[in-house]
Amino acid sequence: MDDYATSDDDYHYSDQDDSVDGFDNDDQDIPLLSSKAPSTQVITKESLLAAQKEDLRRVMDMLSVREQHARTLLIYHRWDVEKLFQVYVDKGKAYLFAEAGVSVDESRESGSSVRSSVLCEICIEDVPSDEATKMDCGHCFCNGCWTEHFIVKINEGQSKRIRCMAHKCNSICDEAVVRTLLSRQHPDMAEKYERFLLESYIEDNKRVKWCPSTPHCGNAIRVEDDELCEVECSCGLQFCFSCLSEAHSPCSCLMWELWAKKCKDESETVNWITVHTKPCPKCHKPVEKNGGCNLVSCICGQAFCWLCGGATGREHTWSSIAGHSCGRYKEQEKTAERAKRDLYRYMHYHNRYKAHTDSFKLESKLKETIQGKIAISEEKDSTVRDYSWVNNGLSRLFRSRRVLSYSYAFAFYMFGDELFKDEMSEAQREIKQNLFEDQQQQLEANVEKLSKILEEPFETFSDDKVMEIRMQIINLSTIIDKLCHKMYECIENDLLGSLHLGIHSIAPYKSKGIERASELSVCWNNKVNNTGVTAELDRPSGSGSSEDNSGCSSRKRARKEGLGGGGGGSDGGFFDLNLPAEFVDRN
Amino acid sequence: MIDFARVQKELVECSKDAEGSGIKVSPKTDNLVLLIGTIPGPLGTPYEGGVFHIDITLPDGYPFEPPKMQFATKVWHPNISSQSGAICLDILKDQWSPALTLKTALLSVQALLSAPQPDDPQDAVVAQQYLKDYQTFVSTARYWTESFAKASSCGIEDKVQKLVEMGFPEAQVRSILEAVGGDENLALERLL
Repeated sequence: MDDYATSDDDYHYSDQDDSVDGFDNDDQDIPLLSSKAPSTQVITKESLLAAQKEDLRRVMDMLSVREQHARTLLIYHRWDVEKLFQVYVDKGKAYLFAEAGVSVDESRESGSSVRSSVLCEICIEDVPSDEATKMDCGHCFCNGCWTEHFIVKINEGQSKRIRCMAHKCNSICDEAVVRTLLSRQHPDMAEKYERFLLESYIEDNKRVKWCPSTPHCGNAIRVEDDELCEVECSCGLQFCFSCLSEAHSPCSCLMWELWAKKCKDESETVNWITVHTKPCPKCHKPVEKNGGCNLVSCICGQAFCWLCGGATGREHTWSSIAGHSCGRYKEQEKTAERAKRDLYRYMHYHNRYKAHTDSFKLESKLKETIQGKIAISEEKDSTVRDYSWVNNGLSRLFRSRRVLSYSYAFAFYMFGDELFKDEMSEAQREIKQNLFEDQQQQLEANVEKLSKILEEPFETFSDDKVMEIRMQIINLSTIIDKLCHKMYECIENDLLGSLHLGIHSIAPYKSKGIERASELSVCWNNKVNNTGVTAELDRPSGSGSSEDNSGCSSRKRARKEGLGGGGGGSDGGFFDLNLPAEFVDRN
Repeated sequence: MIDFARVQKELVECSKDAEGSGIKVSPKTDNLVLLIGTIPGPLGTPYEGGVFHIDITLPDGYPFEPPKMQFATKVWHPNISSQSGAICLDILKDQWSPALTLKTALLSVQALLSAPQPDDPQDAVVAQQYLKDYQTFVSTARYWTESFAKASSCGIEDKVQKLVEMGFPEAQVRSILEAVGGDENLALERLL
């Protein structure tokens, strides 16, 4: 057993102020130590260009190419700069360029200017040479045909890789040419083209994903190193970066997908009905047998044989069941047993999952009450000035409630047959299950304790008693944090880590709660205009993006001063725990 | 909008050496949207001697979008649907380039007849047969060419009719005709 949670009394240091303060400060500091550079960032429509600048610059510097070529290369390699450089080192520049369709033409000035007119092979017309354009790959066609080609490709969604019109030419068309020719007569298409190019950074990049909010907030999130994480967008939505559904650790993505589906279609209920009831042969309503006799009658009045489901008539009486084929009784019983067992197992886990989810919802109301209590306490003439510990305790409670509820979905799959039937022996499973359940139980006990203490009417207490409650809450919060940590570790190392099937991994536990992605800090306005990728994105571009903006503003969370502000505070202040969006929305 | 000026030029260009290549394109109606392409079966293949008609529909974006082509003549080939005549050919899909023409596209289709690609099949049944029982494939393809792609000589039905009148059972006549690739005299030898 763990030293810090052996009994209730161990953390009630009510008469040892010094040690409590030390404990308090140390542990408040731990989460802050890890606050290095933010590992997740929000990319807004405004910062989208700036966000990709760095990658573009690296490629441009390394290969001394123009921005458009850097972009073509990056799009081909899905914005994986390391991979791109690897190809460069392994196979050389020529291969790298040819593969991605980049042609760098050194002798561009010669060519079309020699003759006064050229034959465009597409429209088969002679055109003056100043109305024709030669791409870097050397193919020359008239501007009209190029423009048509670009429009068709953009409408096909191929903006990011518009190839030359010549047959079997793999070369990607020069961005600048596309831009210039399109903007002459089709500014709307030029705009669309720009947007697709810019958004490639999100669409084709495994490190960047759109926020899954609906209505869409217009933001994307970039993670720095680990794609397996949970994150909060600046719109307030918390989600799992890897599967884009709600933050669900310590469930793996697959487990969560299965669990969410299971809860949704209540397939177990359907199973139960098929096993425990039979349709009435007359009205077809499901009938459940409530006594031992196999002659059943439906509420519609029809009597039928429970054994074979057939309507009973003259041959089937209380003493004789002639004319019915009732021989398959045994087999059905077997399936009934299994379905019943599975259902009970599911119900066990689902009830607990649900209980914590429900508690969490109820406790969300607690926040308001507590704010009221704090307000009253602050009015009082008291020596206690700082009430941040209440908010911290509350945040810890919310966070751990969620962990607890998802831990039941995890356990359902971890110790069930559905996913890991052949992964461990019965004995192994039992050991692991005990290990996990011990931890879960401890966590649960402490969470309930914290929940209870937080409901105490501390605003009516004397200063001494308030200090006592303060310590209890602080200590419980610390213990719960550690227990969560341990449970995640146990899941990662002892449970999932030992599986042969390596597809289950979970987002790491963060004491401070789900990380809120920081806004990308940019000073890009000056740079924009000389890159050619203009600031057109700033304008509402008509195709729904302006609606996106208005859609999100109502969901955007107004940062409450009381909660988020103290993230960097050192006086044992805030954990900077985020509250889930739905909670904030409700306020 | 279809570039009709170009289509017109293509038709003229194509008719110039129709003698040499045997490839023809002619309008089905007078609006140049629906066309009929004709290709001779390549020599040394089971399609030799056949004349294949291909329905061509020009999309709005032609020549920036590929023309839609499908066989109007029934043909037994791994990359062509034996039911619908749909063609599985990259240049008619994502590898289309505006620099290609109806004639070059038809030439590619003709090349496809010479070099089937059973690993990327349009018709799984034919492709299976091609890979597992090549001989049967060849004779079936030849029989189909005889039956459907030869307008000039008398059709297979006439041959069946003739042999049945000579007193052979119809089912047997049909199977032997198919086995020998539609050759009337060979079939008669077998039947005797």
